[in-house]
Amino acid sequence: MPNLITEETIREVEQFLYREARLLDNRRFSEWLEFFSEDLRYWMPTRSNRYPVNSKAISILDASRYEEEEVSGEDELAFMEETKKTLEMRVARLATGMAWAEDPPSRTRHIITNIEVEQGDTSDQLRAYSNFVMYRNRAERDEDFYVGSREDIMRREGGQLRISYRKIVMDQNVLLAKNISNFF
Amino acid sequence: MVLDVKSLVDAEAGLISRRIFIEDEIYQEELERIFARCWLFLCHESQIPQPGDFITTYMGEDSVLVMRDTSGKIGAFLNVCPHRGNRLCRADNGNASALICAYHGWAFGNNGNLQAVPNLQDAYYGDLDHSKWGLVPVAQLDTYKGMVFATFDKNAPSLTDYLGEMAWYLDCFFDRREGGVEVVGGVHRWIIPCNWKLPAENFGGDAYHVAWNHLSALTSGFSRAPAGRQTPGGGTISPGNGHCILAVGAEDYSAAPAQIIEDYEELIRAETLDRLGPRLEKMTPNVGTVFPHMSFLRGSSRSFRVWHPKGPDKIEVISCQFVDKAAPPEVKEALRVTGLRAFGPSGALEQDDMDNWEECTRTNRGAVTRRYALNYQMGLGHDRFDEELGAWSSDFRLSDSNPRYFYQRWSSLMQADSWDQV
Repeated sequence: MPNLITEETIREVEQFLYREARLLDNRRFSEWLEFFSEDLRYWMPTRSNRYPVNSKAISILDASRYEEEEVSGEDELAFMEETKKTLEMRVARLATGMAWAEDPPSRTRHIITNIEVEQGDTSDQLRAYSNFVMYRNRAERDEDFYVGSREDIMRREGGQLRISYRKIVMDQNVLLAKNISNFF
Repeated sequence: MVLDVKSLVDAEAGLISRRIFIEDEIYQEELERIFARCWLFLCHESQIPQPGDFITTYMGEDSVLVMRDTSGKIGAFLNVCPHRGNRLCRADNGNASALICAYHGWAFGNNGNLQAVPNLQDAYYGDLDHSKWGLVPVAQLDTYKGMVFATFDKNAPSLTDYLGEMAWYLDCFFDRREGGVEVVGGVHRWIIPCNWKLPAENFGGDAYHVAWNHLSALTSGFSRAPAGRQTPGGGTISPGNGHCILAVGAEDYSAAPAQIIEDYEELIRAETLDRLGPRLEKMTPNVGTVFPHMSFLRGSSRSFRVWHPKGPDKIEVISCQFVDKAAPPEVKEALRVTGLRAFGPSGALEQDDMDNWEECTRTNRGAVTRRYALNYQMGLGHDRFDEELGAWSSDFRLSDSNPRYFYQRWSSLMQADSWDQV
């Protein structure tokens, strides 16, 4: 199916995602929450090391047990599995003055790139793919790079774009950061 | 400088040297005397249910491959090719009849046997004793209620003796219903720049930090705080051998942040009491540590994890979620989502722990800081052996008694040349 998305829509989605990143980096979390619809699923699965099916490093005994998928499944553990409500809870927690992992807060920089926009599964939906590099520096010398891809599904609500689904896939197996106390 | 291990832990005075959290000389001794001798948790059987299934993990800093062989028997081996020492398996898990080393192609069966060596006839002249060059196996492997443990010490006591009275407390997490538990697919793995003993003692003995360090999560809906009773009950429980349990009150058996989980706990309460016996009416085991470094919890998350040491100031956590096998699917799903929101790298409770453990480790780099012992004096003289609990138990729900027993065991193992002396 040809991509019927207009240049104007692509620009709109790009600006929407850049604005979102700026709000996050400026710690304007309450405003950031408005980028999401009430039926949000915000999901960050984990990654596994698996041998590809043609790998000569193993001979498979039971083909029915073979699993090539690196990204954890819908019913498996994830780094994050959030709704709009639980994201609100996380933002509220940050404001308690006792969210120690963010006290003092991280200095973050969300670099959002490789944005592709296409029609979603229904006529009122848009799908946007993007890559991110999120640099976190905190305290004296904490330094983490969170790098990965996102898939967003969004729609217009009263003229405003809102994200109803965000899948965040990080490019690490063992997470090299001590925690995930920021948003993506 | 000769290492005087005895001076590092004074459990009677409640004083612990900071040196044990930072010094490499002590850490190297731990790898030998703790991790190469103790029974260490490997995985749950439900993670490798079928013949050929394997999973990779660590015992101390040794990379270990746990495999169910073609006949269905579980074995554990150094995940190291005996030829040049290359790491054999680079996958987290999978299914195999054989694993082949990426360097020269030596092939090993899922029972650890050396199966094939390239150029055996022309280069080795057919002269290589395959029986001597298989994967190095653990010295003993045993399971308890689906939990697979192993030790590299052939002289270590049996797993039954090693766990002792702790076994019943493990049942309160892993065998509450017929069929025991199963592991939710997937795993949390992450790096924390802290000494391995800090999380082990935190889960084993630190009820104190919850009401302060985790208050933001408790008041934001990530965990249901205990019912706010005047006398909430519970205590710190040491069933022996360095194992630790934190218990909440007998009535607080369903402190989960979702109604569906609370309803489920009510529904199975009679069955659980019947299965585990009247001791469960005295308190509810809620968190714990199997010495040295396998911890587990229920309540806001049903998780077990191992704090794999990676040097004196670094660990890799491998953490899994478990659910009662007999629980209905909607309860399992509720446990999965509420659990990972509370515990794991992004967990609203756990993310604050990592930061504290890191700083509790790093400050010890200071030579002067290191001179001052740490305070483990809470409740000193206020714990006793409780016949009904089969364990040393604190009189008040908050106490450092568990860490004192934990570090006593640590000290004993660090000094002992054989298990008879422990």
